[in-house]
Amino acid sequence: MLELILQALYSGLLAGGYYAMIALGLALVFGTMRIINLAHGELVLLAAYVAFEMERSFGWTPLASIPVALVVVGLTALVIYLLIGRIRQDRELNSLILTFGIAIVLTNLILMIWSADIRSTSNSWFMDGVVLGDTLFSMRGEVIFCVIGVLLLAATYWWLNHTWQGRALRAVASNRDAAKLMGVNPARIEALSFLVSGVLATFAGVAVYTASVVFPAVGHNLTIKAFVITVLAGMGSVPGVLLGAVLIGVGETLTTTLAKPSLQELTGMVIFLLILFLRPSGLFGRKGMVKK
Amino acid sequence: MKHRMVVLVALVLAYGAVPLLLGSMDYVMSLIIAALTIGGVALAWALLGNLGGLVSFGHAAFFGVGAYTSAILVVDHHWPVLLAMVAGGVGAAVASVATMPALRLRGPYFALAILAYGHIFRILAVEATSLTGGAAGMLSIPGFPTLLGINLASKTGAYALILTIVLLFAWLYGLIRRSTYGLALRAMHDSELATRVVGVPSTHLKAAMLVISAFMTGVVGAFNAHQINFLDPEYAFASSWTVLPIAAAIFGGYRTVWGPVLGALVVFLVDQLVFKELMPSGHQLVFGVLLGGMVILGPHGLLPLLGRWSKKEASHAGA
Repeated sequence: MLELILQALYSGLLAGGYYAMIALGLALVFGTMRIINLAHGELVLLAAYVAFEMERSFGWTPLASIPVALVVVGLTALVIYLLIGRIRQDRELNSLILTFGIAIVLTNLILMIWSADIRSTSNSWFMDGVVLGDTLFSMRGEVIFCVIGVLLLAATYWWLNHTWQGRALRAVASNRDAAKLMGVNPARIEALSFLVSGVLATFAGVAVYTASVVFPAVGHNLTIKAFVITVLAGMGSVPGVLLGAVLIGVGETLTTTLAKPSLQELTGMVIFLLILFLRPSGLFGRKGMVKK
Repeated sequence: MKHRMVVLVALVLAYGAVPLLLGSMDYVMSLIIAALTIGGVALAWALLGNLGGLVSFGHAAFFGVGAYTSAILVVDHHWPVLLAMVAGGVGAAVASVATMPALRLRGPYFALAILAYGHIFRILAVEATSLTGGAAGMLSIPGFPTLLGINLASKTGAYALILTIVLLFAWLYGLIRRSTYGLALRAMHDSELATRVVGVPSTHLKAAMLVISAFMTGVVGAFNAHQINFLDPEYAFASSWTVLPIAAAIFGGYRTVWGPVLGALVVFLVDQLVFKELMPSGHQLVFGVLLGGMVILGPHGLLPLLGRWSKKEASHAGA
């Protein structure tokens, strides 16, 4: 039993790596624009399907398709950004409906192009087993993308804290008007946050394709999961996102091991509601989501 | 006076002309019934959005709870169907009480918390096998009885029933909107803080709107269960019960009483008759385009847009 629990913890930890990439992308856009991009999971899914198409048509390994996916997802993210810019009134709620609509469009486009079949990489190199300390099992793809996820998160953290643009992004997130007075162009920073969010989504998408399975409905679940993690982390905390992602990952695998797989989804939701009601500013956040 | 005439003519057309002209075409009648079903949910969704100022992504939860409550009461406890449908609404209203802690959350967080509830209710319906039959679902749920000589189980009867339900809800909606509560709710729209300052219990009013909206959605869900005589969690809690009503309400204009219902008729019928034929898989894409397009081009929906046009026409005619 102990072995099973340890294995669940380990698998959950690995899943946390790519969950964190997805959640950080969502959190960045939310931070700068106060907008929850409900199409974020679909961006991740799009990257996954680009990887699938490259593998099917040209036999590329998923890693090689990342540049292509970057272009496709980056452009799509920019289109979403431009569409949101067209909203004239009540942006907070209308953007929710708009991105909800975009999510439906993307899901159905993916459904039309690639059908509802379940897809995953056929590249056996990624599926080879990696055994840690004789007992903990994982696939090579899981380990690779968990490492990539942590590295990307660290890079984003560094970028946010040590580059001019990263600081500008945080400035816009904390006070848009003040940032403007300091010579930051908020519109450019917002577009940038969408692009970075797209980059994170791309890596996450290829990770999901390699380490797990994808089908059109996955995008919606990923958006919810990312949102749950963001709420868990509290806004504007990169380490918080990582910890929240691991928490959700571990919570899910433990539920699968100790209870049953069908309850897996429930875990995230229950954690989410508990956090919302008990500690609305998140585990690490400062800003509340409760009305003042 | 003129207004009354219009209502009267519309009622005569809806109850008389539609069944007389289309009653023999089963397929068209089923489509209209389905469109009105969505219209009922859209109306309830818009009530919450317009009066309560809350966007919900989880109305499928209330729809499913209503459907299951009614079906279980009829199948296991032999309640009369029409009474059980009301109970279905009550069940959904009770379920909405469970979501009330979410009311203290700001706009987008509320919308997503409700979404989470929707998923939880679906999973619970799958897991509570002894009550709901689990993933296998419930088969042969009894249909509608014969009332006043009208066989409600027939296509025409079911049409009359859902039409009556939607009309009653629209009437109730109008009543609330014109009442002092409606005034307070509209004032809340402009400034919730100012409204609270003058002594309006804004959270209580929102909670009341949530309960009413859930009740309506539950009744419509129950109607659907007895009309198709089958339920399973994937169907009863399907996200399309959220997506379609939102698309319909946004398209028709969620600030009006009739916009969501007309929106549902247009959106659903056009989708089923045109787009489903053109693209068998993925035709829901149209709803996405519609939602995005309306938010950007006409956030107030079609009905106010039409109203503005007709006013323009009238002023042109006058000049």
